Amino acid sequence: MLRAFFGGSGGETERTVETFSGVRIRNCFPRGEAAVPTARRVGRSLRYLASCHLGALAGWPLICGVLLAQGLSVIVVGIPLGRFFRGIVKRVAERDRRLAAEFLGRGTETVRPDGIRPPADFRPWRELCWIAVNAAVGLPAGFFALVLIVGAAVSLTTPLWWWALPEGIAVNPVGKPVESWSTALLTPVGGLGYVAALVLAVPRMAELHARTAHGLLTAVGRAGVAARLAEVTASRSEALEAHGAELRRIERDLHDGTQNRLVAVRMHLGLVERMLHTDPDRAAELIRTARGAADDALAELRQVVRSIYPPILADRGLASAVSALAARCPLPCTVETAGLSRAPAALEATAYFVVAEALTNAVKHADAAHVRVELRGTGTALHIEVTDDGKGGASEEDGTGLVGIRRRVAAFDGRTEVVSPAGGPTVIRVVLPCAS
Amino acid sequence: MRVLIAEDDTLLRQGLVLLLETEGFEVVGAASDLPEFWGMVEERDPDVVVVDVRLPPDFRDEGLRAAAALRRARPGFPVLVLSAHVEEGYAAELLGDDAGGIGYLLKDRVGDITEFMGALRRVAAGGTALDPEVISQLLNRQHAADDPLASLTAREREVLALMAEGHDNTRISGLLGLSGAAVSKHIGNIFTKLGLNSTTTGHRRVLAVLAFLRRESVC
Repeated sequence: MLRAFFGGSGGETERTVETFSGVRIRNCFPRGEAAVPTARRVGRSLRYLASCHLGALAGWPLICGVLLAQGLSVIVVGIPLGRFFRGIVKRVAERDRRLAAEFLGRGTETVRPDGIRPPADFRPWRELCWIAVNAAVGLPAGFFALVLIVGAAVSLTTPLWWWALPEGIAVNPVGKPVESWSTALLTPVGGLGYVAALVLAVPRMAELHARTAHGLLTAVGRAGVAARLAEVTASRSEALEAHGAELRRIERDLHDGTQNRLVAVRMHLGLVERMLHTDPDRAAELIRTARGAADDALAELRQVVRSIYPPILADRGLASAVSALAARCPLPCTVETAGLSRAPAALEATAYFVVAEALTNAVKHADAAHVRVELRGTGTALHIEVTDDGKGGASEEDGTGLVGIRRRVAAFDGRTEVVSPAGGPTVIRVVLPCAS
Repeated sequence: MRVLIAEDDTLLRQGLVLLLETEGFEVVGAASDLPEFWGMVEERDPDVVVVDVRLPPDFRDEGLRAAAALRRARPGFPVLVLSAHVEEGYAAELLGDDAGGIGYLLKDRVGDITEFMGALRRVAAGGTALDPEVISQLLNRQHAADDPLASLTAREREVLALMAEGHDNTRISGLLGLSGAAVSKHIGNIFTKLGLNSTTTGHRRVLAVLAFLRRESVC
């Protein structure tokens, strides 16, 4: 974590993040964060600590207030009072949560944006807990930072003003009175010590503070694990459902399509056998019918195979497969890809299906003139965005395949967002996580 | 003979009509879904029906259900069920009413015109026509020691399998290279071992096939 702050040279800085479930996951941060100049880093940390300091200042009165309300709850007045203080606790905690999340560059929730949230009741306790921790730790941390800043400023500027003060007022960092130019000129050297402490300690303190806040205030602990478990269970059942639907579709396509065609071929050949000598003209006609049925069988078989796993996906990868889809699309279609690398076959097939389905929608329902497909790989996720300039108003109720997209994406723990105001444009955004 | 067809695939439906008419059957109707089928059953008075297991709108086992419903309304009404796949369990359901006049064949058999016509005629005459695939599923099954079927000799099992497919004694003797008397003797033994004595009237052959179908499999 700290390496990302202090070290890391160019490229992607890899860092390990401990998740709420105790599992360590590797996370890649893009180039840039590590290169933030030291001054800005310190400045950012100071701003964060200063912001939190305000919350910390409110901490002690708040705790007293909550305790007082609890004590008074035996008489009626305690109940609205308690509600009042809990409201403030919630607001302060909400602010700290947001600050910490912003500082760490993480979300304010560890739950997915598709609606599954941890139980609400674990929060008030954790919030109160955080207020106490912040009052005990955040307050001194803030003062410590303040002391360093003031100390650095005073020491560095001593030579400019020491002589203007009455004797004995100016003191250098080691406690020696500044009484001569020699001590006055040496004092800024001590000031460098403050600066060094500022540069080294403040970002660390801010980081630690933010992590503690984030840890306490987001869906962590048992409730978080339970929430995550609920998500995983839901996504597993989505996966099973999607898989089952897929198997049924394939079985049906093969039995009712391909097999029927072949049965027809066989039946017509049987008839031909009977008629060959008695009615050659009729037999020739039946042979043509049989050949047509055989052609249909082959075409349907290709279609089924393509729907299971498009061969081009195996041969050339997602970018080429999607380009081929775009080329087949009756609408003008531009494809932009960036950062794509080979992903597991099931994931690529899902991405391909999403694009295929979105293009079909644009052609069939949107009345669009142009479609844009964007595929972006970030190492940890695959982002798909399909935009058409059609009439918008797409909804999941009218059987546009959006349900199918959502289900298949959810099976991979991904998320789907459809923005389609009446009048267009329609944007379908899908994020498929590549690594867990 | 008046035949009614229910098959949703256009090409297959037309092919079946052509095939049956070429073979001298009178096709009184060709339905593409269940409601149409039931209408035609009422109106056109067929002697035998040929139904696909899967029909619109649900494409599940509508044909089997229709066959069962038809035979509940008219016991023993000849029905030949065609399917993309066969399951012995389905065959047992179809034959559940102890009456003959049931056929259950893979669609593939339609291409073998002589066999298919033979099967259709047997069904129409109150016999059975079970797909060899169903029979082989049955033969591969393990039998409990106290199962009368376990006491059949290999030859008797062969004869029973051919009976289940719906063949008569002459055809069985031809297929197995046995004399007519030998086949009769095997069949007699099968009836005895399965407890179907000569006082059992009617479809002893069908009952033997049923006995064959109904044994619980042992894993």
